[in-house]
Amino acid sequence: MTLWKKNDIETAMECPMTRRRFMKWLAAAGVAAAMPCGFLVPNETKAGIVYEGGYETFRNACPRNCYDTCSMVTYVKDGVAQFVEGAPESTFTNGGLCVKGNAYIRKQYSPDRIKYPMAQQGRGSGNWKRISWDEALTRISEKFIEINEKDESMLGLALTKYSGNFGITNYGVEGMFSSLGYTTRMVGTPCWPAGIDAQNYDMGNMWCNDPEDMVDARYIILWGVNPAWCSVHTMKYIYEARQRGAKVVCIDPVLTQTAAKADEYWQINTSEDGALALGMARHILDRGLVDQDWVAANSVGFGEFADYLKQEVTLEWAAEKSGVPARRIARVAEEFATADPATIWIGYGMQRHVNGGASVRAIDALVAMTGNVGKAGGGARYGHLMTWGFNYHAMIQQPPKGAKGFLGPTAKGEFDFTKDAEGPAYTNRTLNINKTARELLNATDPPVRALWVSCKNPLSQDFDRNQLEKAFKKMELVVVVDQFFNQTVEQADIVLPVTTLFEEWTVNVGYWHYWLSINEQAVKPLHEAKSNIEIAAALSKKMNELKPGSCTFPTDIDTKEWVAKEFNKGVYDLFGINSWEDLKNGPKKAKANRLAWADGKFGTPSGKYEFRSDLCAEHGFNALPKYVEGRKPYDKLRLLTPHTQFGLHSQFINLDWMEDFNPRPYVYIHPETARVRNIADGDRVLVKNKTGEVTITASLTDNVPVDAILMYEAWFKNNPYNCQNLVDDTSADMGGYKAGAPGVAIHDQFADLVKA
Amino acid sequence: MNHYEMPLVLFTVLCQSAIGLVAVNAFRQVSGPDMEPRRIRLEWLAAGLVLITGLIASVFHLGHPSGMVRALNNLGTAWLSREALTVGIFLALLAAGLLLMREKSNPVLAVTTAAAGLLVILSMGMTYSPPSFPAINNVLPFVFFCLTALLLGSSAGQLFANENSRPMMTRILTATLIVALVIYLIVPCIWLSGGEIMKLTAEQWLASPLYWGRIIIGLALPLVLIKALGKTPAWLWGLLLAGELMGRALFFAGTVHTAVNMGGVY
Amino acid sequence: MKKQLGFFVDSDRCVGCMTCAMACKNQYHQEKGVVWRRVYPLKEEIYPHKERAFYSLACNHCEHPACMHVCPVKAYYKRETDGVVVHEQEKCIGCGNCIRSCPYGAPVYNPVLKKAEKCSFCHQRLDANRLPMCVMSCPVDAIQVIDITRLDSTGLVQFAPGFPKQPALNPSVRFRLPRLPEVVRRKTI
Repeated sequence: MTLWKKNDIETAMECPMTRRRFMKWLAAAGVAAAMPCGFLVPNETKAGIVYEGGYETFRNACPRNCYDTCSMVTYVKDGVAQFVEGAPESTFTNGGLCVKGNAYIRKQYSPDRIKYPMAQQGRGSGNWKRISWDEALTRISEKFIEINEKDESMLGLALTKYSGNFGITNYGVEGMFSSLGYTTRMVGTPCWPAGIDAQNYDMGNMWCNDPEDMVDARYIILWGVNPAWCSVHTMKYIYEARQRGAKVVCIDPVLTQTAAKADEYWQINTSEDGALALGMARHILDRGLVDQDWVAANSVGFGEFADYLKQEVTLEWAAEKSGVPARRIARVAEEFATADPATIWIGYGMQRHVNGGASVRAIDALVAMTGNVGKAGGGARYGHLMTWGFNYHAMIQQPPKGAKGFLGPTAKGEFDFTKDAEGPAYTNRTLNINKTARELLNATDPPVRALWVSCKNPLSQDFDRNQLEKAFKKMELVVVVDQFFNQTVEQADIVLPVTTLFEEWTVNVGYWHYWLSINEQAVKPLHEAKSNIEIAAALSKKMNELKPGSCTFPTDIDTKEWVAKEFNKGVYDLFGINSWEDLKNGPKKAKANRLAWADGKFGTPSGKYEFRSDLCAEHGFNALPKYVEGRKPYDKLRLLTPHTQFGLHSQFINLDWMEDFNPRPYVYIHPETARVRNIADGDRVLVKNKTGEVTITASLTDNVPVDAILMYEAWFKNNPYNCQNLVDDTSADMGGYKAGAPGVAIHDQFADLVKA
Repeated sequence: MNHYEMPLVLFTVLCQSAIGLVAVNAFRQVSGPDMEPRRIRLEWLAAGLVLITGLIASVFHLGHPSGMVRALNNLGTAWLSREALTVGIFLALLAAGLLLMREKSNPVLAVTTAAAGLLVILSMGMTYSPPSFPAINNVLPFVFFCLTALLLGSSAGQLFANENSRPMMTRILTATLIVALVIYLIVPCIWLSGGEIMKLTAEQWLASPLYWGRIIIGLALPLVLIKALGKTPAWLWGLLLAGELMGRALFFAGTVHTAVNMGGVY
Repeated sequence: MKKQLGFFVDSDRCVGCMTCAMACKNQYHQEKGVVWRRVYPLKEEIYPHKERAFYSLACNHCEHPACMHVCPVKAYYKRETDGVVVHEQEKCIGCGNCIRSCPYGAPVYNPVLKKAEKCSFCHQRLDANRLPMCVMSCPVDAIQVIDITRLDSTGLVQFAPGFPKQPALNPSVRFRLPRLPEVVRRKTI
């Protein structure tokens, strides 16, 4: 389908029709295609789009990196997706999506979508020309072959991909890279690795209860997590728990929307979570409220932990460090220890610190010593991957015969479910995704020559943006697979249009709830978009055409069949289905694994909960969950860059529908902090630190502490704003064990600001 | 601030000045039966042209002017429909007057037409005083519109009145100017002591150059000039018209709607 | 008394996530800038924490709707069965009188069609036995459909602070007010 005749970028991005006319046009085109006399389609249409009934429905799943991973139903008429709803079968999604999910129709039919493969003459120039798929793939393949001939390996070819689309078949991008040979991979995650490792040291895995069982909790501490924005579907369980008598305490440096819904909110000194948890632990110990039976039966090292608390931790010290008054800490510690069950939800924000993993371990200890690990309604909740047992058929591909690779230590990401290969000494070269800029710049022998970006927007999400731009400039070829002309696409040579969730087959699970959803192709891909595995197949075909045997990825694939290939008996049994096609009747919830550590059999070397983890010590950290100092401030104010309610990282914020509710970014400043700098609400301000600067509008609020400023990570369509200008790539403490690389101390950043 | 609604500004001010012309003319016909039919017809013709200009302006206010005739559909509850109807009646009577007053004046018809004009102003007063604008959800729009009619009618009427009736018209104009000045100065002060939206309206008005422009150019300066010259110069209505247009633009753009403060104090 | 449907705005549960407002766009694809349902943050005079408590509001389907009374072309009607105030856009001539007159800002101007439009309570969905899209989509049940005539209004208010008091219109909306958490700030207490 060709909507626009000219192939230059201006035409590709302009909106020649209004929203409703566009929808009607699509509908009419659908009808026209189906009718022998297409021209008889009436050109008069009703004023508005309304619910008409008689829709065809399809199952979809929101594949974004989100706690909620919603099960969706898409209503289609005349081949056009008209509107979406949450799947009513999922008790978690419960028929409703979120502000982002409800914008999907606009994401699908946005005039800003990338419609064809395009090539840019000069990165960052905006001088884009439409090219054919054949031309794009030829240019890419020729470069890959050239690299292979020059270096005698494919290590000069790097892939950066993370969480832009968690649909399981999208791991075919990694598969495509494997099928080209041994390549360079950006490994790790900026998201949650310090906490993953912490939970692995303590319990032997990251595993938590079904969030739906929070209704049974008698006490809930929401620690550095903002579900009102980032897991809005969990809020109903928290509300229900409170209706049944639970107390809800929210601990956060920022008075978040979640804090406003709690019974009690503590504005903690940022990154002092460990001190606070240890202070509570000490008080619980002093009051004799430790669950001695549980500790004796299920843990090791508690005695040493208790000794540490007695010798080095006091309530007053914890109050001093955290800023929370001692009597408050004491009271909540007692309430928490005596409530049964009590639970703590540990947010990802609180572990994005140089002491983040240590803090998570301290909180885990607090939950464990009160006997709340392994209980329905209890637990130290963080996340889990218990439902991810797919075949990873798209991901697991073999290198071409004779391929040469890397000899040396490598890392694996948390979503890399492949078994370690036996035999061949060659491997991929792994680089730390959280230091993408310096890793790309510093890699030698061979240097990284070509970069493939998919399911990721590094220029919006990765750190030290100025360095990253330099790294991109160094590349001989940058290929980006995306749907919108975002800041990463701006630095690409070639952009390839990728399908939306409505246009491809895949399957999705979450890392928080226990639901499994199929994602059906609801509409034909618009324009020339291809799914990631179709792109892989097309590239393979071209590679083999130009150099037979250079790529092992199947060249002719049926995307629906490839979804079926991801399933196995384990998945079927876990979800109680006979065939993946059963999911067309609605999402399914796991029948098992929903109660973490209930049997007391932990995955640690001792098989018990380890207050003292020798493995942790082996990896260079404290064996006990001891207090670790935070990062020393390098500027006057702490800079927080958490998630906005209007986007999932850099996605959705650019849509014009979203702009109706979130037209521009702000920096949030405490009125006192603003007053001494002579800044008024609505002023333009310059935020600056050693990494870079951002000019932005000020919003004054005492929701943020007096010593911190806050801006949300985002990519706006018509605004150069990018918070990563101000975030350096300093590592968090943990993450290297299970996630392939340490996390990033995203919230250990500092800056100052002046009136612009 | 809302839009200036220029079509509505022109429509209401011009409509009201046509009504004012006819009303003051009718007053003269009743009080001084010796008026020349030629002058009367000329004045009514002028009123008709002004009215038609206003009506043309009103068309530009509609998203779909072709549906204009359907504006009469809701006479049961919509003062806007009633406004359309009364304007139609007023226009018809005006036309009748032009036809019937060839030989001599017709005080009965004149007064009837003026009365129809008053109904137009009443409908307008009701249309533009909805509950969404607390500051003017009262008799004020009607009062404002009457003042506009009298100010422009008695000043523009100077062009058509004979020597004998001019001093009387100057007296009408002077009295109206004094009343208008008092009202326009007092009303924002009263709003300041009202609810939040009234207060916001007063602040918008008092901060607007349009407000002070209308007070000085449209009210105070004409008073001073009349006092200094001892009569109403024929061109004075130009100043008054400018003042009324500014005032009306402010009426539409500076009056605050309740919805702007949703979530705030009312 | 016949049925009168309305919205229950539970500000105690509402997290201001804007899902309802976007759900409306999902169903009706309004033009850019045209929004039928808005999530209004309460100003700090009413709720002390900025942008932390909200009223989700669209049309209130008043017992005596100003829009309907002032519309010169009868583009509005109130359904006998459930009191829903429906705007028939094909009749609208774009005079803007309803937009000026509604104290709640429910009718809005569509600059492309040059007509007014507003929330009509998803009456087509209601007739298909479905909830309005905003209500269905709310992840915390903070807006619900209520029948005003059969409502137990204990603890609910019709004219909450921050909502224009217009008893003559009798808007079909009821509020529950937001909670205040106990806030422990650093270096205080």
